[in-house]
Amino acid sequence: MSLSARHARWVLPAAILLLATAALLSLGIGDVRLSPARIWAGLLDRDSMASTVIWQIRLPRVLVGVLVGAALGAAGLIMQAYFRNSLASPDLLGVSTGGAAGASIAIASGWAAISLWSLPAAALAGSFLAVGAVLILARRGAGTERLLLAGVALNALLGAVTAYILSESTDLFQRNAQILFWLMGGLEDRMGMHVMIALPIPLAALLLWPLGRQMDLLSLGEAEAQSLGVDVRRLRRRLIAIATVLTATATAVAGTIGFVGLVVPHILRLIVGPEHRRLVPLTLVGGALFVLVCDVVSRMAGNLRLGIVTALVGGPFFLWLLRREP
Amino acid sequence: MAPETRTLISLEIAGATVPGRIRGISLRLAPGSIVGLVGPNGSGKSTLLAVAAGILPATGAVLWADRPIASLDPLERGRSAAWVPQEARFEFGFSVRSVVAQGRFAHGDDGEGVDEAIAAMDLAGLASRPVNRLSGGERQRVLMARALATRAPLQLWDEPLAALDPRHALEVLFLARRLADAGSTVLLSLQDLRLAHCLDALALVEKGALRSFGPPSEVLTAEALASVFGVRARTVPGLIFELP
Repeated sequence: MSLSARHARWVLPAAILLLATAALLSLGIGDVRLSPARIWAGLLDRDSMASTVIWQIRLPRVLVGVLVGAALGAAGLIMQAYFRNSLASPDLLGVSTGGAAGASIAIASGWAAISLWSLPAAALAGSFLAVGAVLILARRGAGTERLLLAGVALNALLGAVTAYILSESTDLFQRNAQILFWLMGGLEDRMGMHVMIALPIPLAALLLWPLGRQMDLLSLGEAEAQSLGVDVRRLRRRLIAIATVLTATATAVAGTIGFVGLVVPHILRLIVGPEHRRLVPLTLVGGALFVLVCDVVSRMAGNLRLGIVTALVGGPFFLWLLRREP
Repeated sequence: MAPETRTLISLEIAGATVPGRIRGISLRLAPGSIVGLVGPNGSGKSTLLAVAAGILPATGAVLWADRPIASLDPLERGRSAAWVPQEARFEFGFSVRSVVAQGRFAHGDDGEGVDEAIAAMDLAGLASRPVNRLSGGERQRVLMARALATRAPLQLWDEPLAALDPRHALEVLFLARRLADAGSTVLLSLQDLRLAHCLDALALVEKGALRSFGPPSEVLTAEALASVFGVRARTVPGLIFELP
């Protein structure tokens, strides 16, 4: 059912247009409703009230949402090509559970209260430690299957750490609520500082951009790709590094948000086909669009957690798409 | 098909050993030859082909045109040798044409010879179909077409005939003949010993070791067939296929 090449060309411009619309909507919707004209005035500092709402609250939120969505969408695409499986997602190697464990420890120990930077820093540390452990456990250069199994083991271990922290003193309701909120992801109260933490995301995306063609070959078989001239070891190293930076950074600024990395590449592949040179830019834009739309929905539904909305919106849409597949 | 004839590549394998799979296999193929690799299941044919293709590391040496493959960069390897795996599995629905075009990766994706390769493998009618919806034999032909599109002078095919109907199997053998006549070196494994009999030379592997290497009549002796394959052989007039 994927579109012909002639039509597929228009999917990226259309997605960018939709993303711009969603960003505008996201800037306008909230406790204070702003018309597009007032958004414009606010951006240019001509309306002090609108200006404060936009520059202090909504623009950071939109920017973080765009960056997080782009990161998760592209990281999902990388993992699906890497593991040659359209059901792979960015959390396979323990990046998000590592971040979650790091954040939970930071909140439970009180570090998170010391500075606004300590929570994202702890999450980042947790993510990188987790992936480092998986890579060491799987041993360098070993096949994807070992890597997957090491990831499964570490995911279970780190999930247990978070569960232990939550269960160890159930009377600390406030503290546990904070951890649970973080585990369900969200974009509220994001600030310029979070945008700054998320800046590695566009850098990683730039590094990913030229790898699309090699991802095509890798996604049809490691040995085949190597025999056709791809430096598979180097490519795999780069892909893991890029996916880790994308997912770890996204998790550090917005908590764990599931489903984006699985569903966005999958849907886009159904629409434009499996060519990665097309999918890399599209998953960046599509992931951003999906997260922004889910964030708008979450605000309109009385501040439902973002991680819940991505699953609630994404799940049924995904099922509907799969039903249409012959 | 007009393969590039300017580079001729000999294949030399010297004492290749992969623990538990093959041991001490040495083999030399001159440019322009077709050699069939025969042996029972699990005897090490696929391992040997993967070693020859530089995909599976082995102790011992593998040389293409007298150069150790470790000294070649990945792109140069991609231009020198094409390897066709035994089983063609595709997770993603790339079109037949785009998979065949991947054969040009090491040539900067110039798209040259892609249409000829598609035609040679009788895939023109399937060119825009997604590869993950094809039958086993069709998928095998897609991989063969991709290997042809590389125009690599060294062609290493792992049981390319296994899933093919008689006509396409015969066409693959004729193609190997044309490639070799133009100077390519072709090493292919096969189970059909009657077809193997038509090749220039055969290498018989048994339990990971090379048992014999030479003209088919000297390799597939009644004695070897009995001891290696456990079958008795007789020469009788039977069904002979030819391309019309």
